[in-house]
This record gives sequence, C-alpha cells and structure tokens, in this order.
Amino acid sequence: MNLFKSIAALAALLASSLASASDFLVSTEWLAKNLKNKDIRILEVSVNPGVYERGHIPGAVNLSWHTDLVDPVKRDIVSREHLEDLLQKAGVNKDSTIVLYGDTNNWFAAWGAWVFDIYQIDNVKLLDGGRNKWEAEKRDLSPVARKVSRGNIRLNDANPNLRARLSDVVAVAEQRSEADLIDIRSPDEYQGKVFAPAGIQELSIRAGHVPGAVNVPWGQAVAADGTFKSPEELRKIYAAFGVDGDKPVITYCRIGERSSHTWFALKKLLGYDVRNYDGSWTEYGNAVGVPVVNLAGTVWGGK
Amino acid sequence: MVFSMRADFQTSWLPPISRVWLPVILIVLVAIAGHSLVLNTGDYDLELSLWLGLVFGVLLQRSRFCFYCVTRDYFERQDARGLLGIVAALAVGTVGYHLVFGAFIPDVGSGRLPPGAHIGPVSWVLVAGACSFGVGMALSGACVSAVLYRIGEGMVTAPLVIVGLLLGFGLGFLSWNTLYLRAMQEAPVVWLPHYLGYGGALALQLALLAGVALYLSFRHRRVNADNVTGAWWQQRWQTWAGGLLIGMLGTVTYLRLAPLGVTAELGSVARTGTQILGLLPQRLEGLDTLRGCATVIKEALWSNNGLFIGGLIVGSWAAAWLAGDIVIRKPALGESVRAVAGGVLMGWGGMVALGCTVGTLLSGIMASALSGWVFAVFCLLGLYLGWRLRQRYSW
Repeated sequence: MNLFKSIAALAALLASSLASASDFLVSTEWLAKNLKNKDIRILEVSVNPGVYERGHIPGAVNLSWHTDLVDPVKRDIVSREHLEDLLQKAGVNKDSTIVLYGDTNNWFAAWGAWVFDIYQIDNVKLLDGGRNKWEAEKRDLSPVARKVSRGNIRLNDANPNLRARLSDVVAVAEQRSEADLIDIRSPDEYQGKVFAPAGIQELSIRAGHVPGAVNVPWGQAVAADGTFKSPEELRKIYAAFGVDGDKPVITYCRIGERSSHTWFALKKLLGYDVRNYDGSWTEYGNAVGVPVVNLAGTVWGGK
Repeated sequence: MVFSMRADFQTSWLPPISRVWLPVILIVLVAIAGHSLVLNTGDYDLELSLWLGLVFGVLLQRSRFCFYCVTRDYFERQDARGLLGIVAALAVGTVGYHLVFGAFIPDVGSGRLPPGAHIGPVSWVLVAGACSFGVGMALSGACVSAVLYRIGEGMVTAPLVIVGLLLGFGLGFLSWNTLYLRAMQEAPVVWLPHYLGYGGALALQLALLAGVALYLSFRHRRVNADNVTGAWWQQRWQTWAGGLLIGMLGTVTYLRLAPLGVTAELGSVARTGTQILGLLPQRLEGLDTLRGCATVIKEALWSNNGLFIGGLIVGSWAAAWLAGDIVIRKPALGESVRAVAGGVLMGWGGMVALGCTVGTLLSGIMASALSGWVFAVFCLLGLYLGWRLRQRYSW
C-alpha cells in the first residue's frame, strides 16, 4: 500500500510539472491577439447585471450563471441537455477552445469551468485576471452581441467524481475517509464570528467550519492584478497548510462558486485530485446532525 | 413679495454678463465636482451621471417639459403642443432603445429581459399607483421631474412637495409586502418584443404614438404664441424640439448607465430614513428583484441617481438664470397644503409603480414595456380627476 502510494504521488508530481499553466490559462495579451481566431469561443460569466451588455470582450457570448449554469428550481448544476443547447447556441463546436472570463475576479467564470469539467468538456481555459485585468489594461470592449451560428458540441453525462456531496464531506469530518478540506471563506466566517459576509441573504443556522478544514482564503491564490500565482508559489502556499496533493482535496465556501476558483488553481494548475463541494456552507451549516467546529461560539439567535 | 428676473425682452445676439456669469460658474463647479468624484472614487459613472443630469435639466427647463403643465394646457385650452412634445420624446426614445436592444440582446427569443430596462409587472397595484400619482401631480402642480427642474426656477413649494414625496415613499414601503404578496408576485412582466419581435413591437408602438399625435393635432386649437419675442437665449424651446432631444438623451443614458429615472435617490433616502426610524419591515419581499427605479438602503453618499438629479437641478437653474425665468414668490397656505398632499400621493404611487412619469412612463414605453402604457393611461386619468377636483373646489 505504501509503495503504491509513493508511486501514485510520484506520478502526480510528474504530471503536475508537465501540465503547463498555458494549458488552462490564457493571458489578456494572447486573447487580444486571437480575437478573430475561429477556433476560439469566448464566454463571459459575470454576476453584475448589465456589465456584459454595456461592454464585453469583442466576440464574447454571455452566460448568466444564476439561470444558465444552475437549475433554477432545484438546487443543482445545469442539466446536460440544457447546457448542451446553451453551448450550441453560443456557437461552441466539438473542436473549439473555450475561453471563460468574468467580473468579480473570475469567480463565476471559474464556476463555469468547474461545471464544464463535470461534463468533461475539453479545451476549457480561463482568462488570467478576468474582466478586471482586461479593463485595467484599457483593452477594447464592445456593446454589440452578434448572433452566432449554432455549434455542434455534444456533452457526455455528468462525471460524479468531480463533485463532493454532503455525505463525502461528513465522512471526512467524522474521519471515516481521508481528504484535505479547504475552507476558502474569510477568517471571520471560518471561525464562526459571522454566518456570512454583510448584506448576504443566504445564511445558515450554524456558524463555523467543517472539522479538519483549513482556512486558505481564495485571495491567496492570486496576485494583486487578479492573475493566478505561479504553480511553484501555489504549491508552497498550500503546502504550508498541509495540502500537498498526497490526499484528495475538497474545496468549499458558502455557495460553492468562490471555491471553484481555488478548485481551478489546485486541480488545473497544480494537478492535484480536487473536488468542489458545491453545497458548501449553506448546505453543511444547515444540515441536521453533522459535526461542526465553531471557534467563536456564535449561536443563531444570540448567545 | 415677488422676485422676478423677467426684464424687458432684449434683442441683442449675445446675452448680457448679468445673465451669463452664474451659468458659467455653475458649469465650472460641476466640472470640478465631477473630476474630484473620479479622483476620489475612481467611478466614472458618477461623473457621467452628473453631466447627463445637467443636460436633462437644461432640456426640461428650456422646453417646459412638465407633464402636468402641458396636460393642463390641453384640458383648459386645447393646446396640444406640450403633449405632442411628450409623444415626440416617446417616439424617438422607442426607436433609440430598440437599436440598443439589438446590440444588447440580438436574440429576442432567448427569454431574457434587457438589463436594467424599466419593464415592470402589470397588476391592479400599478393601476392604483398610477392613478394616485396622477391625482398627486394635479394637486401639487408638478410631477417629480418637474418639481426638480422647477427648483431651478425658484418654485418655493418644491421642498414641501419633496417632504410629501418622502412621506409617501415611506407609506409605500409600509404597504409593500401586502401588495406584493397579494398581487405583484404573480403579476406578468410583459415585454412586447417577446411576443412581436423588435420590428413588430417598434411598429406597434410607433403606430399607437402616431395615432395619439394625429388625435391631438386634430383637437389642437391654435393659441397666440407666447414667449416668442426675445433673443434666442430667452425664448422657450418648442416642446417637440425638447421632446426629440429628450428621446435621444434617454437612449444614450440607457446605453451608458441606466434608463432615465428621478425617483431612485429620493426613494433610497426614504428607505434609509424609514429604516433608521425602525419602521421599515425586516424584508421588502421581492422588491429588489423587480425592475424600475430601484431603491436601496444608502451606504455611500454619492450614487448615480443622486448625482443625476443634482445635475438636473443645477442644469435647470443655469438655463433658467440665463433666460430670466426665475420667479420667487411667497406661497399661499392652500398652495402649501396641496403641495404636501400631492407629494404624498405621488410618493406612494411612485413607490408601488416602481417609478414616476419619467421612470415608468417615459422609460417604460421607450423600452416597449406594457407597464409603461398602463401607467400612462391611468396617470392621465388620475391627472384629469385631480384637475377637475381643483376646478370644482377652486383649489
């Protein structure tokens, strides 16, 4: 068993060093030069309304994360049929390279990348630095959304192995299975001082974090301009918290979309075995009978 | 006691210094304010809102684009010029909006609504709000945008109307949850292009507007031209000219920022105040999901709409000063009471209708929203009722 583990770790290390960042990230400079490239499909996933319409990267098509990438009735990711239809309407072909970007530090674009990964769509890349960097570099934006001819992409069924469910996380919390849990929320949320950031409507009945989780806020993975840090730096940062890829990793946050950002960094840039727990704290903190660590002792309704 | 700037009409081509110095200073101050906003906040939209508001204020004042006044002119003297100006604004704005829609949402069948456009739910609440707003307009003598631009002309009852507006908004927030759960949550949000496509919706709206224009032109009775003597900087603009420019401004403002609207900031002040007093309900169900002049609990001092109406008042003041249109006189007691009462009715109506004659009527119709038309019809009805009441009781 030990030998097997060592070989697996060595293979993972080799694979991660071979996987270059450019397989999963594109720079703003590269994209600016390749806007007219017919093999590229640019998709924007922004959360603020009107942002795409009033100016987007020329040629980009809009995906609305809260109606297009999720099921709006039951809490789940978008169905295969719906996503396939959406991507075909966006002109995505079987051999297209998809470039995702969005506002608010690419959080929702990263969610998109994770959803695409579940449906095993190949050639998905994130624009390093997202909308913020494109705008900061004063590059062209266009308010015109052109109609595109339908693409021919087909999707496979969802791969459940990329998604962590409540039962998986409870198993880790109760030490019945081994994994590194990363809570990417702010320290105040992790410690249980607050249930959620100010102004957020989706709260939970209990505050705190999953037993055994380490707190590595998502911002640690990016530089000041929003671009991801280099794989070597990322490896060091997460190793300091005991996450070095020898065990499977599960990332979570409040609703699972910021944790997609960290998922992307660890899975794609470092090659670790990472699952995103999209139920996140709004599911775990509301679930009955699960173990919780609440350092601050905050109780719903007052101490 | 009356302060009036109306002097002898002059015919020299350039206005005298006494008329020019204040507008120039105001514009310089606005430029400085806009620049420092950008330096302090980095938000260019704030500066843009200020300038667009200033232009709007100038247009409103110069063309006397006061919904109540022009409608009353038609009721009293069959002078339809003002109403035709509003129709012109709607026609130009509708065309402009649809051109922008084609860029924002080329596939109208996608089921999405265009971002930020004032397309609201249609229910009896909208009808009640529009009627209330119309009666309020008649009582106070001006709608919200008119009150704001007439501050620049020295309308002394304006602060009273605004006090009434804030109270009315507060009442609106208190009644909101009941109205939302009873009627608005299930009310349809009807955007005409969903059913007719862009071409169909545009054709239908332009046909309706043309019909209204023809009717008004037929009924219009020529009056002795007033205010046509005097230099170019004194004369009132023809309302149709102001209307055309306002239609264009509406398009540009929607393209860059948001639809024209003047109640978002006042409503937000009312919402914040109601909350500070502890009277605001814990949650205003669904309010923040609906489209219209959105109110928020104020967290920052400067907001797009706050600067927009600030610019409006300054622009109107500059234009009024230049033309000598400022008249300040002591209000009568009855006038003051009417101002507050009218304000309250407008505030409540504007809150539940998610906007006023600018935000729901103008911006709604321009966006091909059924809510805009419904508001227009019932606001007119309320206006007529209020006007008759005033005539009957000599208010």
